[in-house]
This record gives sequence, C-alpha cells and structure tokens, in this order.
Amino acid sequence: MPNDFETLETLGREDEVSLLEILDHVLNSGVVIHGSLVISLAGVDLVYLGLNVVLTSVETALNNLQIEEKRRQK
Amino acid sequence: MSRILVYCGFHHAPELALPELGVNAAPVQVASFDNLSLLWSEVEWPFGPERMQKSAVEFHEVVHRVFRQTAVIPFRLLSVFEHQQAFAAFAAENRERFLKDLERLKDVVQMECVIYPAPSKSQVDRSSGKAYLQQKAVALRSSEGFAQAVQDALVDLSREVRVREGKNGTRIFALMERGRENDFRRTVNTVPVPSHLSRRMSGPWPVAEFLSEQVKMPQTDEATGAK
Repeated sequence: MPNDFETLETLGREDEVSLLEILDHVLNSGVVIHGSLVISLAGVDLVYLGLNVVLTSVETALNNLQIEEKRRQK
Repeated sequence: MSRILVYCGFHHAPELALPELGVNAAPVQVASFDNLSLLWSEVEWPFGPERMQKSAVEFHEVVHRVFRQTAVIPFRLLSVFEHQQAFAAFAAENRERFLKDLERLKDVVQMECVIYPAPSKSQVDRSSGKAYLQQKAVALRSSEGFAQAVQDALVDLSREVRVREGKNGTRIFALMERGRENDFRRTVNTVPVPSHLSRRMSGPWPVAEFLSEQVKMPQTDEATGAK
C-alpha cells in the first residue's frame, strides 16, 4: 500500500508537476525571516539572479506541461 | 561565505528519525530550545543559480523526512541567518509562537487542489475585443463555480478550507486530519470538472498556509543578522 507521504513522487502526473509543486512550496510557503528579500534585492545579485532562474524554470515547466498535454490529446 | 539555513521547526521527540544530510550534502543539525527543535545546516551562501532546483529538492526532502513523522513548521528556502547568535536570538524570540502553532496543527496536514484552464481547450477568441472579454468572463465564472463546488464538497471533511487566486489558477487549501488524505482525493474527484478546466491535487504538505501570521512572518531584531 502506498504511503500517503509518497504520493507526490509516485502518483503525480508527471515528474515536472512534482518539481513544480516542490519549487513553489519551498520558495513560497512557510516562515519568512524578515530582511531576506531586502538583502536579496539590494545587495546580493546572485541570490536575486538565482531566484529569477527558478522562476523562469517554473514558467518553462508549465509551458512544457501544456505542450505535452496538447500532444497527448491529438 | 557561510550562512545558517533553517529547514523546519517541530516538537522535540527522541524517537524521531532525522535526516543526516541536507542542501548540498551539508550535515543537518538540530538546535533545541526547550520543546522546540529546529533543523539547520551551515551552507555556502548565496546559492549558485545553476544549483537552485537541486537545492530546492534537497531542502524539500529534509523537511518531508520529518513531516512524515510529525507536524512541522517549514521555513522558506532563501531565508538564512548570518550567524549562530542571530539564529539563537530568533528562536528565543519566537519559540512560544512556534510551539503554539505546532500544538494547534499537530494532527493535520495540508492538501491542495489547483484549478486552471485546460490547455487544449483554452483557444482565445480573437474575433473582437468584446468576444475576448465575454470569453474571459464566462471562464472566470465557471472557474469560480467549480472552486466553490470543491469547497462545498470539502466543508464537512476538512477542518478549514482557504482559497487563493494566483497567476496560474485558483488554489484551494484544505486542512485535513493526518491519515485522511485519500478522503480528500475521493471527495474532490466527485466534483465534475468543467470541460475547459483542469485540476491538479497534491499533498500532504506541511500546513504552511494555515500558520498564524506571527509565525509566517515572525519578529526579528535587525541586530540579530537575520537575512
């Protein structure tokens, strides 16, 4: 019997969906320590750049999902 | 340059099996403040952009390793402390709030349902501006109706339901008793999906959406060096 805590990995529609959900949760959910955004935006370019890369990847994953779904339905 | 990366907080319990390695194979350490335990690693900072996705998955694995066993309060990946003293000061300042939320949310998990336009059926009507706006209005009403139907179906099953509109669709969060995740899936599956919409379920997740505001954005003293 599958463990409910494994369903994201084992029963998800696509690996990309799981990755998308994980990225969304670790970056957008949970405790925010004040100051992180200010420092990230103001001083540390690499962090800001890193965040952009992740966001771009999320968009790419979404686009890929849509393309894949269209392909399957043809 | 190294920083203190915090993964999650939870009620201290000796029987819990804790992860040994975290982001970028950094050793995971436990800091205990009375009954509150916090998992953390010393990591190289900032993360390189080329490693962000891998770091995110590693971070997730640490949090979920604990979450499979008990309730956790997850931190966000890009929040770090400059040094140990800052971390300790933060924990001392916020310990009571964290413990209160952990007690309130100890037997529940977060399940999610995302509603979004079905990709293949979202052909945009470009015949006129009016037609385009009408199409958007119909789609919005339909999406709202479906989201409401899902909420109604979950009302007797979940302790609380919240809805958030996002760029990519409507996200429904349900606070479910641990162990009733399949009830959530079965119930959501009973609601017919309109032809032009899709929905995606996921979970269980830590109850991040249902944390108190003081825990989501806790007090920090700027002098503590929280980054």
